[in-house]
Amino acid sequence: MSLLEFDCRHRYPGGFQLEAAFELDCAVTALFGPSGSGKTSTLSIIAGFTAPQHGLVRLGGKTLLDTAGRVHVRPERRHVGMVFQEHLLFPHLDVRGNLRYGQRYRRGRRRSIALARVVEVLEIGDLLGRYPRNLSGGERQRVALGRALLSDPELLLMDEPLAAIDAPLKARILAYLERVAAEWEVPVLFVTHSQAEVRRLADWVVILDSGRIVAGGTPQDALSRPEPLGWKNSMGPVNLLRVEEVESASDHLMGRIAGQRVHLPPQDSPVGAACFVQFGPADVTLSRREIAGLSARNHLKGLIRDVVAFDRAVFVSVDIGQLLWAEVTPEAAAELQLVPGSQVTCLLKAHSLRVLN
Amino acid sequence: MCLVAFALLSPQEWAALWLSLTVATCAATVALPVGVAVGYALARASFPGKWLAEALVNLPLVLPPVVTGYLLLVLFSSRGPIGSALAEWFGVRIVFSWAGAVLASMVVSFPLLIRAVRLAFQSVDPRLEMAARSLGAGRAATFFSVSLPLARRGLVAGWTLAFARSLGEFGATIMVAGNIEGQTRTIPLALFTMTSRPGGIQQCWRLVAISIVLACAAMAVSEWLERRQTRRESA
Repeated sequence: MSLLEFDCRHRYPGGFQLEAAFELDCAVTALFGPSGSGKTSTLSIIAGFTAPQHGLVRLGGKTLLDTAGRVHVRPERRHVGMVFQEHLLFPHLDVRGNLRYGQRYRRGRRRSIALARVVEVLEIGDLLGRYPRNLSGGERQRVALGRALLSDPELLLMDEPLAAIDAPLKARILAYLERVAAEWEVPVLFVTHSQAEVRRLADWVVILDSGRIVAGGTPQDALSRPEPLGWKNSMGPVNLLRVEEVESASDHLMGRIAGQRVHLPPQDSPVGAACFVQFGPADVTLSRREIAGLSARNHLKGLIRDVVAFDRAVFVSVDIGQLLWAEVTPEAAAELQLVPGSQVTCLLKAHSLRVLN
Repeated sequence: MCLVAFALLSPQEWAALWLSLTVATCAATVALPVGVAVGYALARASFPGKWLAEALVNLPLVLPPVVTGYLLLVLFSSRGPIGSALAEWFGVRIVFSWAGAVLASMVVSFPLLIRAVRLAFQSVDPRLEMAARSLGAGRAATFFSVSLPLARRGLVAGWTLAFARSLGEFGATIMVAGNIEGQTRTIPLALFTMTSRPGGIQQCWRLVAISIVLACAAMAVSEWLERRQTRRESA
């Protein structure tokens, strides 16, 4: 039995049709796809705000929606917490009041998540007496997350939780999300159109396009398929690789990606033992031979998995232990005879890597 | 001059002032819960025949008050469909009584109340109500803990408008409640009565002054309430 079973068909008055079925079992699942692909509609059906024409939704063995059996559990009885993109804190209540609102209606249910602990983990102790209008975007998002957690949900839905937040704050909120997932083990289903967020947070991803599911699987697998998933509106695939055994060497950092040594740019802030690096496919140079005497510090060896022509460029996915994408011109691809299975070296300047904690 | 007017009031004028205040307060206060229910329904719900409900609610705004009064008189007189039932079951007589004056004021000021209340509920983000539901609050709990507090400014404005309109109500009141001194003779009726007498024009300046003071005070109080709320929320 899966944690969540979803199988719904709904035609909206505007003509858009959602027809999707999936099952979830993972701690953190991403619902990924371009705008208008039906991600938010899916959340709305699970939360009980949209009644689809045909469908079945089951959560933890309980039927929330079954159009054939005329079951439609009201939103307040579903025990599904929701964090909205615009946070939607109650403006007439202070932070404490907002957090307590989440607790107020949980009707003595099984687990209990303590207010004090939520305040501690999300570091919102100093905000308790303030009103939402006097909070920054990141603070609001943390309070909204805390409020949803305190309602003791069996599933936490998040609608683009990071979309309204600027880049430097995103990393911090991501860290809070990871802490929350680790501390309370509340399963999370979040909507996003950012590949980086999927790779960073999710154990499983369901990819939607035009109201249909086009792929599902672990982020590593699902996002590296050659179909131009979501490439339409982001500029090609994004590389986000996990670096382990990070340690500082004289004036820079060293680490390992799947066992191969990498040079990282110097960091102002301390870096943990593991981190992520992000870089664009255009930052990668491919070489068929090992070359000495290059200024690019990182030489990662791997096998070509896929070669995809897309919008006057060729994207090459290389398996170096993790998958990375390189962008080359069609001429270069032809001249180097880049085909699946051939061995290449990926050259990367240390300074083109962005380190994410 | 306005304050001098209070000192110089005759007993009849005091009675008219007191009556006006109680009638307007009762009318606005009794209409408020009804107005909240109807205003919320008009703001949020969509149902067949909604246009008809809207037209019905707004009718007193465009009808001559005398016509509204006539219709109320027909409905509520002791032989009318509602009046006879009230008399039979509760032994209550509405027409030509203090209650009639309240009823007339309520109906005539209702569209103004609804307008303010409806606008207030429309300005509450419906997704805040969704957030409350997803946190486990039922429909009623959501209404009382989120929608109502967020709309309260509009409710205060609506009450004040209804109160001010009731103070000035004349046409429907004289039809339904008559012009009985001490019972239904509010300030406008007293003014009318006074000016119909020879030499009355010179005597009625005190009631005119008081009407002006009351209208200004109602506006000032609602303004003050609104500012106080804004201050508290931004503190």
